[in-house]
Amino acid sequence: MNRRDFLVTATAAAGMLMLPRFASAAATTIDLYSGSDANIIDFWNNIVRPAFEKAHPDVAVKITDAGDNTGLRAIADRALAALKTKTDPQADIFETFDSRLPAGGADAGLWVEFSAQNIDGFDRVNPLAFDGKYSLPYRGSQVLLAYDKTKLDPKDAPKSWEQLTVWIKANPGQFIYNRPDKGGSGGNFVRRAIHEANGRNPKKFTIDNFTADYANRALTPAWALLNDLASSLYEKGAYTAGNTQSIQLLAQGVVTMTPVWSDQVLQAIAQGVLPETTGLVQLGDLALCGGFSRMTVFSNGANKDAAMKLAAFLLTKEMQEAIITEIGGFPGVSWDHISDELRRKYADVIPATIPTFPAGDWETTINDGWYRNVAPGISRT
Amino acid sequence: MRRSMTFALPARGFALASNQGWVGLALVALPVLLLAWLIIYPIVSAVTDTLFVAQPDGSSALSFASYRFFFSDQYSRANLWVTLWTTLVCGALLLAIGLPIALYLRFSRGPLSAYVQGLAIFPMFVPSIILSYALIRTIGPNGAVDVLLNAVGLPKLPSPYLTPWGPVIGLVWDNLPLTVLMLTAGLGNVPKTSIEAARDVGASPLRVLWSIIMPRMVNSLLVTTSFAILGIFSSFTLPYLLGPASPEMMGPFMQRTFSDMNDPVNALTQAVIAFGFCLGFGIFYVRSVARNRGGV
Repeated sequence: MNRRDFLVTATAAAGMLMLPRFASAAATTIDLYSGSDANIIDFWNNIVRPAFEKAHPDVAVKITDAGDNTGLRAIADRALAALKTKTDPQADIFETFDSRLPAGGADAGLWVEFSAQNIDGFDRVNPLAFDGKYSLPYRGSQVLLAYDKTKLDPKDAPKSWEQLTVWIKANPGQFIYNRPDKGGSGGNFVRRAIHEANGRNPKKFTIDNFTADYANRALTPAWALLNDLASSLYEKGAYTAGNTQSIQLLAQGVVTMTPVWSDQVLQAIAQGVLPETTGLVQLGDLALCGGFSRMTVFSNGANKDAAMKLAAFLLTKEMQEAIITEIGGFPGVSWDHISDELRRKYADVIPATIPTFPAGDWETTINDGWYRNVAPGISRT
Repeated sequence: MRRSMTFALPARGFALASNQGWVGLALVALPVLLLAWLIIYPIVSAVTDTLFVAQPDGSSALSFASYRFFFSDQYSRANLWVTLWTTLVCGALLLAIGLPIALYLRFSRGPLSAYVQGLAIFPMFVPSIILSYALIRTIGPNGAVDVLLNAVGLPKLPSPYLTPWGPVIGLVWDNLPLTVLMLTAGLGNVPKTSIEAARDVGASPLRVLWSIIMPRMVNSLLVTTSFAILGIFSSFTLPYLLGPASPEMMGPFMQRTFSDMNDPVNALTQAVIAFGFCLGFGIFYVRSVARNRGGV
């Protein structure tokens, strides 16, 4: 190949690479990033995207897996820098993100403020689910206790915190929960202990009432409760490194009971990872906390308006019901806006209320406090 | 052709030499610049960021507070200690397992040694995240090992999963190929003739190992150990998935401090301290390489 041929071919090849950009420039393409697990990415690719693109033929959605929350934070940092230089952040919407990050982002106007004015169906959203005005809850999940029915008769399954602790102590080595920062199932079990130590009143904890002094007073008795359980846990106080590993230990028959996310356990049972003999129980005196996933939209994104349409689309009845039927999640809207048929079918797992625990400073303090006070535990020999 | 070249040389010799010098420098410049940009600059910036801490009023002042916190905090010290313990135990185990395999590969011939070599190199091609989950399923509780023991009527072994021994087993498995390869290469320096000469005068195999092989292996043992130790000190995936919640190794600890605690200053401090320890091991490596080349 001579030099001229090479140049011609190289230019043509470069031109071909540019083509998709020109092609997609014709229609609006929303850049969505998600740090969630594969089941959620699949849900977006296979359910949400086709339905949304059918409803809005001129808009395309590009879904990118950012890996985890840290990946999203890098993109958010970039968007904050782009906001300062007034350039395109090349990102429009996050599937789930804490709008308090990056630090100072919300104050600088990085995130769109959601309200009934800019989101159709805003007033249908479950009021329990909100976490500030810069994020829009659209799906939820609850932590339950999963247990092996062959080892524990369903009628003996613990229904209150007290029964649970009695059971754990009577069956040493048969319970495990994961490190609270590595997955919400263990994290919300720890939060349930905090509720227990504070009169089972979730209202005592709000995002704004955090002070180091109050946290110290509220959390210290909870660490005592958890330390009291530690010697009766698997391996006298071992903690798995994530939601999945807890399910794995339950599946291998190593432990009898473990806290699990409702959507993950329903999927694990459906896929045969957990046997049909897996029982689910929720504590009756106060449920284990749940969590909601909340979308955030960049105020400086090039396709902000289309992204807001996408956010509103997730609140439609069609999408909210798909969240229940496809991924075993909870709707972000109140259950009143879900069809009666579905509501009856899932009556068993619909909580009267899902207690929630605020994030922000509470989260870092709880995680660090747990690592310092509970994880080292007592001697494990 | 050749003749004319030699004729031309005296006249152009100087120009050619200086040209080559420039080419050589240009070739070296790329890695040096990359090193400066991606390694040296981050180190300098990490050290200054931890020493000159931003004050609330926007200025920055010299402060050793984050270092003082690390070394006065029992939790952080326990993490550093378990990292050193894991690193040293893994280093010792790697040499203890790798050296016999390397000796076997060096001095045996035949099809079996090819298989052994293949088997010893195999872990290199297994990503550590896959290894972690595989180990949970094999040496984990009620895993394959327990199932086999149970099948022949033996009691279960206490599982190393979620204890400090979990990462040790994983890291030794993961680092074995590199150790074996480097030790085998080092054994290549031992001439067969000297071993045969020693045998001829009646030296026992142990004597051959101690007096003939080991003296020539010191250098490659040092290099191998420092390589393994540098890799293990900064490991993340295996201690994260197989190790206990506390104490945790520096890798998971740094990641948690940085992204869960939103505490970059303390994460950087941990990184600088980890770097300090690795620097110590690194100096070993650089010195032995330099000595090998007749430098120092």
